[in-house]
Amino acid sequence: MLTEVKNQLKITSLSIKYAIMREMLNKGTFIMKVIFMLLNDASFIVQWIILYSIKSDIGGYTFEQILLLWGFAAGTFGITRFLFKNAFSLSDHITNGKLDCYLVQPKNVLLSIITGESDTEALGDIIYAYILLFISGVTLGKLLLFTVLLIAGSIITINFAIILGSLSFWFGRSDYIADTGNGLITNFATYPDGIFSGIPKALMYSLVPIGFIIYIPVKLISEFNLLYTIVILTVTIITTILAFIIFYKGLKKYSSSNLMMSKI
Amino acid sequence: MEKQNVIEVNNLKKNFRVKEKESGLKGSIKSIFKTKYQNIRAVNNISFNVKEGEMLAFIGPNGAGKSTTIKMLTGILYPDSGSIRVLNIDPTKQRKKLAYEIGTVFGQKEQLWMHLTPLDNFKFFGAIYDLSKEETDKRIKELKTLFDLDKFINTPVRNLSLGQRILCEISASLIHNPKILFLDEPTIGLDPVVKQSIRKLIRNMNKKFNTTVFLTSHDIADIEKLCKRVIIVNHGKIVVDDSMSNLKKEEGTLEEIISRIYKGEEKHHEKVLGNIQS
Repeated sequence: MLTEVKNQLKITSLSIKYAIMREMLNKGTFIMKVIFMLLNDASFIVQWIILYSIKSDIGGYTFEQILLLWGFAAGTFGITRFLFKNAFSLSDHITNGKLDCYLVQPKNVLLSIITGESDTEALGDIIYAYILLFISGVTLGKLLLFTVLLIAGSIITINFAIILGSLSFWFGRSDYIADTGNGLITNFATYPDGIFSGIPKALMYSLVPIGFIIYIPVKLISEFNLLYTIVILTVTIITTILAFIIFYKGLKKYSSSNLMMSKI
Repeated sequence: MEKQNVIEVNNLKKNFRVKEKESGLKGSIKSIFKTKYQNIRAVNNISFNVKEGEMLAFIGPNGAGKSTTIKMLTGILYPDSGSIRVLNIDPTKQRKKLAYEIGTVFGQKEQLWMHLTPLDNFKFFGAIYDLSKEETDKRIKELKTLFDLDKFINTPVRNLSLGQRILCEISASLIHNPKILFLDEPTIGLDPVVKQSIRKLIRNMNKKFNTTVFLTSHDIADIEKLCKRVIIVNHGKIVVDDSMSNLKKEEGTLEEIISRIYKGEEKHHEKVLGNIQS
């Protein structure tokens, strides 16, 4: 069992390494992409600087908390796209029969698929997340907690993407559902939850789990709370189990295809 | 001593539900409100066995159910009913266990990382099959000699010719020394010279390692030169399961005989089908 896990981790890390290597073939383009992603992210924070020069509290958030909010938003977006880009195109993989080459290998199909591609410009998002953390004022404890919560948030984001993408096993071309759901996470991630109430807020802690990816982590960094920590861990574990169950249940309905294709 | 069955298939069935739509924009709008589905019987109650070390051609016209069958045998697709045992393993229940024992090459789908060299790809595949570094290196050395890969083993796959790429695909699928090799149209798009050399290599591999070969191909020469036994499927059913020598006894070239069987005009078809049903 332990050897199996070790071998699986070896393949997963090799797969990620090769996917990153492919994207880094053109070094100039790679560096420019990362820099431009950083600039793109930075442009948004300017808007918040202006808003906070007018008002000191927006949606119950201080400016430091807005920096953390953006840090978590950029960080989870970066980690998930940098390491597990294919989780966001799972629907396409299913409907176009691209799972075949993973299914004939003696490894975990889901992990092999989601680690098969990397979006290297997302490295800019990860760097940006830590720049914001440093600007907001950092201690070693805060740095560790931020990193742990970023990993948990990334796992929840990936699980959410896998669940949405797996719907294609049952509904065929349902990439629009996955794209909308994943887009909702990105859209809501950069606003303080204090400006939402009622149904939208309830959705953020249920169907669109942005509350566990961004809002609770921001609160935890501002003021540590054991209950919130347990909640985050529980949601991470439950969504991981759900994602695996739904994907493997759907895999039995996989119908493949005879499209000509290559793993470029 | 009689050779053992390495593949046993009994009453295998697989249907696909396909959306039906009338032509034109009107048809598209209609299908939004009322979707019609058609049940396609891709594989319709087929049974056969394959013996250890055998080289079997599993052929049929487009849409006959060849690829669907091969995908069920390799654990890619789940059958609707029937049973499959490959090396005494049920692919639907023990996909990973089976994957250690078989190799697959899909001519239409590449499994290699295009930006890596064949050597790096082989090392990656060695890791996939949990081979140690020493085992992988030893196996790469063997395959390098067998398939004459020396000239391009350090060239990124994306820069190789199609023939070289297919050679590397086959080599990668053999890295773990599988007992059965499933080849789904391995020579598709290749020139006659490359096809010939690939056939020779498959034959050599079969002789050297006693690897069972399950081949689907539309290339008559592939079938004729590699396989002693032919299974022909049409409309999801087996219509011929016979030796190549028996099949060739019919009138005309092998291509003509097979074409007639595909069209349902060949007497051999009825004769052998009668045998199968009985």
